Amino acid sequence: MLRKITAQIKKDFLIETSYKFAFLFNIFSVLASILTYFFIDKLFGHKVTEHLEEFGVSYFSYVLLSMAFFSYIGVGLGSFSSRIRGEQLQGTLESLLLTPTKISILLAGMALWNLIIATFDILIYLVLGIFIFKINFSNINILSTTIILILTMASFSCLGIISASFILIFKRGNPVGWIINTIEGLLGGVYFPVTVMPGFLQTAARFFPITYAIRAIELAVYRGYSLPELKSELIFLCLFCLVLTPLSGYTFKYALKKARRQGSLLQY
Amino acid sequence: MLKVKNISKQFIPALPLSARLINLHRKNSPVTALKDISFSLEKGSILGILGPNGAGKTTLLKIISTIILADKGTVRVDNYSPGRDDEKIKSITGLMSNEERSFYWRLTGRQNLEFFAAMHGLDKRNAESRLKEYFTKFKITYQDKRFDSYSSGMKRIFSLIKTILHDPRLVLLDEPTKSLDYNTSLKLRNFIRELSAAGKAVLLATHNIQEAEELCDSFLIIYQGKTRAIGALDELRKGMNNSSATLTDIYLKLTQNA
Repeated sequence: MLRKITAQIKKDFLIETSYKFAFLFNIFSVLASILTYFFIDKLFGHKVTEHLEEFGVSYFSYVLLSMAFFSYIGVGLGSFSSRIRGEQLQGTLESLLLTPTKISILLAGMALWNLIIATFDILIYLVLGIFIFKINFSNINILSTTIILILTMASFSCLGIISASFILIFKRGNPVGWIINTIEGLLGGVYFPVTVMPGFLQTAARFFPITYAIRAIELAVYRGYSLPELKSELIFLCLFCLVLTPLSGYTFKYALKKARRQGSLLQY
Repeated sequence: MLKVKNISKQFIPALPLSARLINLHRKNSPVTALKDISFSLEKGSILGILGPNGAGKTTLLKIISTIILADKGTVRVDNYSPGRDDEKIKSITGLMSNEERSFYWRLTGRQNLEFFAAMHGLDKRNAESRLKEYFTKFKITYQDKRFDSYSSGMKRIFSLIKTILHDPRLVLLDEPTKSLDYNTSLKLRNFIRELSAAGKAVLLATHNIQEAEELCDSFLIIYQGKTRAIGALDELRKGMNNSSATLTDIYLKLTQNA
């Protein structure tokens, strides 16, 4: 199992490094997005101060962390469907499916490289945040942050697998991915605290796991909240995991079987 | 080794989105890809599957290799069944597809094969020794160049090596010599003979009647998804009541006048 996962990571590494400038462009794109919010903070940051009191940070500090975290969530969410779509388009999905490899290992292998890249992105965010923008991460509660990361990745990976199931059957058009990337980005508190929005949108935000994840990570990193202090957020994230894990497994198996019956597994 | 009994498969072509939006219940009528196909294949023998484009040859190979599920009928590969023992079947079966897009083009040929060897569960040392053996056998010197720089012939040879890398007992070949020059084609044909001599069961789907006649012990001629004839050349001749008929004569008669 380990050899198969390692082989997939090595293959992705070799493909990625064959694009000479991708790595450099990645750093620049992270820097560009950080700078955008840095200047937005300069312009409007003081207007949301009251909404950020709970977290005890400036708008820029808040958004830097939530964006770094959201890129991580994006991996859990998007990597399965985008990788399956990529393999379909390249024509290599058939070769992969012809190897005696469990689907769960194929999926894990596909997602791991993206996870490594996202971890690297987070490091870029943090290094730039600490050394250039002088953001203070000294209050971080490592245990809470780790648990939140694990629970968030688990629940969003499940959503990602459900999303990949749509790709297997419909090839294009991925409502789960769209909802989460677009609606959750808007409502979940990634670019501004949820309290900025009107009441009915705040109510809607409660139905998305990202709202709990972003709030929990901000409080764990900037205020050093312990696990008991984040109890309600963690309970919600655990609930999402409990419901989504079997649901995603069932959905993917169903989609795979349907695609094999339709003979459309390799179509794109 | 391989037993196929009454395999049938229909596909429902997808409707354009606009047609589906106008009538949510509308479905295209199904197209029969295979109907009641039965045959068996013993180790050490080569069965040629002949038929015009769209006859169902590729669908049949994909059903045997577990990529597509049949609607009806049974497939047994060493007593393993698709849908139930997929991983076992994949570990003893190799499918050489007729497409060149089954490799990572930004990797070298060697990197591709090392990756697929690992995915087949081969350890590093075993994989290296097999690759060395095949590179020597096919006189390959370009294994460390990027795959997208290979010619069609080079890609087909790599495709064949990928198919047999894990030493499968059943080898499924879908038009292995398609668009190859004479020399490369000859190299591949000789190797297919060697596979059979080594005790592997080989299923060869091809349009090339001459190639089939040269390589195969028996033939399955399919047309529009149905079996038109099955057996060794002598048996096919008997079925046609023509003891001097060539495979081309038989093929043309069965697929033109059907």
